Amino acid sequence: MTDFLAAAIRIATPLLLAALGGILSERAGVFAVGLEGMMLAGAFAATIGAWLSGSAALGVALALLGGAAIGLTVAIVAVRGRADNMVTGLAANILALGLTSYLLRVIAGGSGRPVAIHLTPLPPWPIPGLVEIPVLGPLLFDHPPLTYLAVLGCVALTLLLGRTQVGLTLRATGENPEAVFASGADPLRVRMLAVVACGAIAGLGGAVLSLQQVGTFTDGMTGGRGYLALASLIVGRWTPWGAAAACLVFGAAEAFELRLQTFGVPVSSYIVQMAPYLIALAVLAGLGRTSRLPAAIGQRLDG
Amino acid sequence: MSEPASSLPSAVVADTGGRLPGFRVVVAGLAGRILLAVVLSMLCAAALIALSGHNPLTAFAAMGVGAAGSAHQFGAALNRTTPYLLAGSGVALCFRAGVINIGAEGQIALGGIGAAAVALGWPTGAAAMAVPASLLGAALAGAVWAALATAIHLGRRVHEVLVTLLLNFVALLLVQQALAGPLGQFGAGFLQSPLMPRMAWLARVPGLDAHPGFAIALVAAAGLSFLLWRTRFGFALRVLGLARPAAAYAGFSPARLTWGVMLLAGALAGLAGGIEVLGVQRRLIEGFSLGFGFKAVTVALLGALEPLAVVPAALFVGLLEAGALSMQRQIGVPSALVAVIEGLTMLFVLAATVRRA
Repeated sequence: MTDFLAAAIRIATPLLLAALGGILSERAGVFAVGLEGMMLAGAFAATIGAWLSGSAALGVALALLGGAAIGLTVAIVAVRGRADNMVTGLAANILALGLTSYLLRVIAGGSGRPVAIHLTPLPPWPIPGLVEIPVLGPLLFDHPPLTYLAVLGCVALTLLLGRTQVGLTLRATGENPEAVFASGADPLRVRMLAVVACGAIAGLGGAVLSLQQVGTFTDGMTGGRGYLALASLIVGRWTPWGAAAACLVFGAAEAFELRLQTFGVPVSSYIVQMAPYLIALAVLAGLGRTSRLPAAIGQRLDG
Repeated sequence: MSEPASSLPSAVVADTGGRLPGFRVVVAGLAGRILLAVVLSMLCAAALIALSGHNPLTAFAAMGVGAAGSAHQFGAALNRTTPYLLAGSGVALCFRAGVINIGAEGQIALGGIGAAAVALGWPTGAAAMAVPASLLGAALAGAVWAALATAIHLGRRVHEVLVTLLLNFVALLLVQQALAGPLGQFGAGFLQSPLMPRMAWLARVPGLDAHPGFAIALVAAAGLSFLLWRTRFGFALRVLGLARPAAAYAGFSPARLTWGVMLLAGALAGLAGGIEVLGVQRRLIEGFSLGFGFKAVTVALLGALEPLAVVPAALFVGLLEAGALSMQRQIGVPSALVAVIEGLTMLFVLAATVRRA
């Protein structure tokens, strides 16, 4: 059971980081469909950085940059260029998929087939003292560094959104950009920065996959996790802790699917794999009338 | 969920001084900018090729030869183009009505299931009807999947992008479930159906090695273009896309129009999936539709949301992909370059065709 819960946490971590980035973007009024591409770019940059430099820390730093680069692309086209948010996000995802596969072969392969990059996945950092607690200790306090960072990110983002002037301006930009403009701030700038920051944080989520869990980069390795992160932030109603809960549910569903045979449950693994998407749909459908979607999300800023 | 104002449909319309713009204004007004977007992304691609240590001109030449060097290769490229054209022209119609349907991928997947189910179960006594019946099954299955999305979108007011996106993943898993169960071939080692019975195969044009799917797609694109510009339904769609309140004021029902355009696009995407299964793979294979849905969006945008202009757009993408594989084999430039070109072209088109306020 502990093993199952630990797996759920492990699977939820990259989703949560991406979802935290997505919350920044959506609360500022820009749909975060580009999360998949941002994660992928982060995973790629982290792998290449750590492989070339031999330093995982540099890999993590590059993951921030890689994700932010995709964020900047989305920001320029969708926010400054006023194009449709969602389609721009899709385009950025296609670009990230192509660019990472292409550059992987150019940087690490030469022609056609990439050389295999093997990195030692980041080791767990047990927290002294706390890890000794029976059951809870090994479950909660024996994780690799980026997992703690995801939890800290939840705390930080909650404080930022709820307790700071910056957070207030950001939320106001998502609800009523005219009011932000009238108050002397520049909603366009706020949205640009929010989307770039979203990219950087989602890039970290990608680094969790490549540096912390797999130890290499493979083509399209995010495999739809960016979209799952998008679903989780919606299910979590655009709040960090809500998104964290949703990510854990999705993580548990996947961990359960991996252990179906062990548990001896007569359900097809494909049906179980559908669970996250069906839960997201069900929550969205139930949300319908009482939605707390930022009021001005997806709207263009004119003038 | 409230309905966020999409900037897409109005975005691709040139300034017309308040009148509902006609075919010529819309398409001709955008052709230049879209061509510019293609040129820009090809220049970026050339830079990337140079980065990999190859001569861009040699690479593009290898691509051209690979795409259309022989009748056989051109036929293969046409086969590749077919699903993009079918699904893309349906997506174009949806976008024009302001319905951002990105569910083509799932609808194509369901189309594959529909075609395979009918073809595998079809009685040999009625062999002549096997192909039309299987394709009908494909179109129906695609339309049903689109109907599910539409019901959730309209009934529960969930944004259509999220519904169609999430249903895409469910559809891909449904294909796997179908192949693990009733449609699967046991002992194959991977998830695939048995070979379709020969009576359900799409014939190949001799010498060209292309199936007649491309011709079907051309007819469909022409039909959709006629529908969009020459019928009351098409007029209502265009009004809906440009100004929702105006459409409601004019007595058009946005819900009914959304149903119409979604079912149509779903059926076309389903048909694309069926043609892929009966004409190319001749089996249902796990993940056969992977990436097709997003490419449908790419070609719809590249074709200025005009079904007839989606024809060259889909050909561009189809030829590019066919050529890139051969370029990778011949001179070693990774074929992933195609996705870079597609993504960049989409971004440039999006950036270049927005109407300035």
